[in-house]
Amino acid sequence: MIQHINVHAVLQQSVAGFYADLVTRPTGRAVRESIERALPPGTIAVMDFTGVGCLDYSCADEIVAKLVREKVLVLLLRGTSDAHREAIEPVLLGHGLAAVCERPDGTLDVLGAREPAAALLDELVAQQVAARTPGGAIALTAA
Amino acid sequence: MTRLVEVPVQFDDRSFDQFAAAYAQATADGERLLFDAHAAEWASPYGLVGLLAAGEAARHRGERPLLTAPASPDVVSYWARAGFFREAAELFEIHGKVPKTKPAKESEVLLPVTPVRAAEDVHAVVSTIQQRASAILASELGLDPKATMGFAMALSESCQNIVEHAGTGGWVAVQAYHWRRKLARRVVVIAVADAGVGFRHSLEPSQAKRFGDRWGDAAALEAALIQGVSRFRDPGRGQGLAGIRRYLARWEGKIAIRSGTARIAIVPKWDDDVPLRDGLPAFPGSQVLVIIPEQESAQA
Repeated sequence: MIQHINVHAVLQQSVAGFYADLVTRPTGRAVRESIERALPPGTIAVMDFTGVGCLDYSCADEIVAKLVREKVLVLLLRGTSDAHREAIEPVLLGHGLAAVCERPDGTLDVLGAREPAAALLDELVAQQVAARTPGGAIALTAA
Repeated sequence: MTRLVEVPVQFDDRSFDQFAAAYAQATADGERLLFDAHAAEWASPYGLVGLLAAGEAARHRGERPLLTAPASPDVVSYWARAGFFREAAELFEIHGKVPKTKPAKESEVLLPVTPVRAAEDVHAVVSTIQQRASAILASELGLDPKATMGFAMALSESCQNIVEHAGTGGWVAVQAYHWRRKLARRVVVIAVADAGVGFRHSLEPSQAKRFGDRWGDAAALEAALIQGVSRFRDPGRGQGLAGIRRYLARWEGKIAIRSGTARIAIVPKWDDDVPLRDGLPAFPGSQVLVIIPEQESAQA
């Protein structure tokens, strides 16, 4: 089963004040802990960044890297901007981790370390969550 | 008895060591300090937040320090619009005429001098800067509009150094101005300063042994900025400064950090700063300077 996480909504619930930006360690920690409470370990999770403004390295590390490292089987990032990915990628690389990223056209890309990245796409295809398109790309079949 | 600390006439990162030397000398015997800025003709954001850090350090040492405001009405008005006196009033006994101007909400002051004490302050700073800096970064500096988010990230990480490492509060200010003297281009400047424990003290428990005899302020700055070392054991830590470096490399920007008796800089090709200086006059806490210049393509 795929778990859906609306990051902006979790941010609003986790931190006092109406913030659209994912910045600072304490904010990242609060958001991750909220997500973890609702997330069974070893799942495939779709994390939607729509509505999130700035994402800094501290939050990228606290949320994305720690969920990938400790909680989820595959983390699929949706609604990310170039700036979000620029914060997430070096953090994942630093840990030797990877996540899957959905492009606006629905096809999938990977962020982070090369070796685990390839395995993530294979896992999604094996679980029939994603499939190869006629053009050779990989896209979600559900979610 | 009161000891005098003269504020340089042109007060910026270049004249900061002169100020730090005067501060170090004046604090030697524990007397009350008088910061004399009456002759000041200009102060960069770095000068303003650095002066506040000095004021805070002096206040913690003993009697509330004195400050003579700039005599020039234009200068004192600019300092007021930059938000300096709003913060200084809590630290100094101020002498001289200070206008009751509120910090500017437009013009070149993208972010007036703002206190940073907790994560909530960083949120407020990032939110404010995105509303006010986008147009200037894109239209006046010729940065890709997408660079605004990276700018907010760099600002966030700079401020978080205070919250996580200083052990006290600090200040941040962001301004855009035409840097005629050095570059003949417009620049956006982020200045962050605190009077906290500094990089050496923050990193000492985890790094001093590794550096051995070399350990000191310069080695601590090198470890933090060049090697991405953090005082935390968590492998995800220490990426903030590395992220700022990546952002600045893309936009030909500069970062310089002064802490204790040392100063380190990532020097872009348009600048002739020294990458690492040691043996400078001791000054409390850490002071960070980030400069992003107008892109050359935008000048054409």
